[in-house]
Amino acid sequence: MTDTEHLLKRLPNDIGGLPAEPIQQTDHELEPWEKRCHALADVLDFHKIINTEEKRRGVEALGAEMVGKLTYYERWIAAFANILFQKGILTPEELARKMDAVETRWSSEAAE
Amino acid sequence: MGPQEHRHDGGHDHDHDHAEIGQAGRPGYYEIMETAIRELLVEKRLIGPDEIRRQIEVLDSRTPALGAKVVARAWVDPEFRRRLLADGRAACEELGISFYDDTRLIVLENTDKVHNLIVCTLCSCYPRPVLGLPPDWYKLKPYRARAVSEPRAVLAEFGTIIPDDVEVRVSDPTAMVRYLVLPKRPEGTENYSEEQLAALVTRDTMIGVVPVTVELRRAAR
Repeated sequence: MTDTEHLLKRLPNDIGGLPAEPIQQTDHELEPWEKRCHALADVLDFHKIINTEEKRRGVEALGAEMVGKLTYYERWIAAFANILFQKGILTPEELARKMDAVETRWSSEAAE
Repeated sequence: MGPQEHRHDGGHDHDHDHAEIGQAGRPGYYEIMETAIRELLVEKRLIGPDEIRRQIEVLDSRTPALGAKVVARAWVDPEFRRRLLADGRAACEELGISFYDDTRLIVLENTDKVHNLIVCTLCSCYPRPVLGLPPDWYKLKPYRARAVSEPRAVLAEFGTIIPDDVEVRVSDPTAMVRYLVLPKRPEGTENYSEEQLAALVTRDTMIGVVPVTVELRRAAR
């Protein structure tokens, strides 16, 4: 096997059967935004905008570094942004402007 | 909705602190992205202004108590058990549990000869309509990686020792097909009511990492 062959055979999500650490029985209450992100995933699926398998592949397409470093729902929202760009539903510029607007709005609300 | 969950998809007449604002006093990058995407989709009329809030209510209504009700019914009603094993989704719907996603449900029965374990190796597919959202460990690498190759070792980490003459069967769900374990009814529960039985059935017993026991419940109390 060449030293890169495993990169093609195992995409970042494909970890079944690999050696790994002992299981830590962790859990946490979802943050409000995480729950909204989950609900968004369901609603996008209901409207056939992004289905579950597209979401999974979107997460995989983030690449091993982001899959490894982002939290679960951070991966989801990043994948949604990319898929919505690919489908021409949103543009990167439009999202950047909206994110600036949301941040500005929240900052001014927090300052009140 | 809990006190910390408020909407940003509706009016803006609230005058309370933002739950989203973290210790640094600023909402995180990904949270801003989530809100921005949601608001853009609403502005483009691709999703309704109230849909996210309503779906959060649906998610909040799904807990392992629903799955426990299904299991207890299957233990006391052999005809229901037969229908449940034939078509999990239809049998759950019979008990008033709606499926908000477009998934099939296959119910796997534990017996004296077979112990079932569920793991989604690729991501986190889970029978959400009947169990709610999965625990974090179900979504993390150690469980996903190891459950298929060394299920007995994984089960032992949950304190579950399966005798060698019992087959351990691991099932890996997909986006469209989900699994639920029908655990074995514990001995000594012959006189229990259906409701008392349901109280013994926990989330982890329906993932297959632990058996249903009477002792477990006592210890938890």
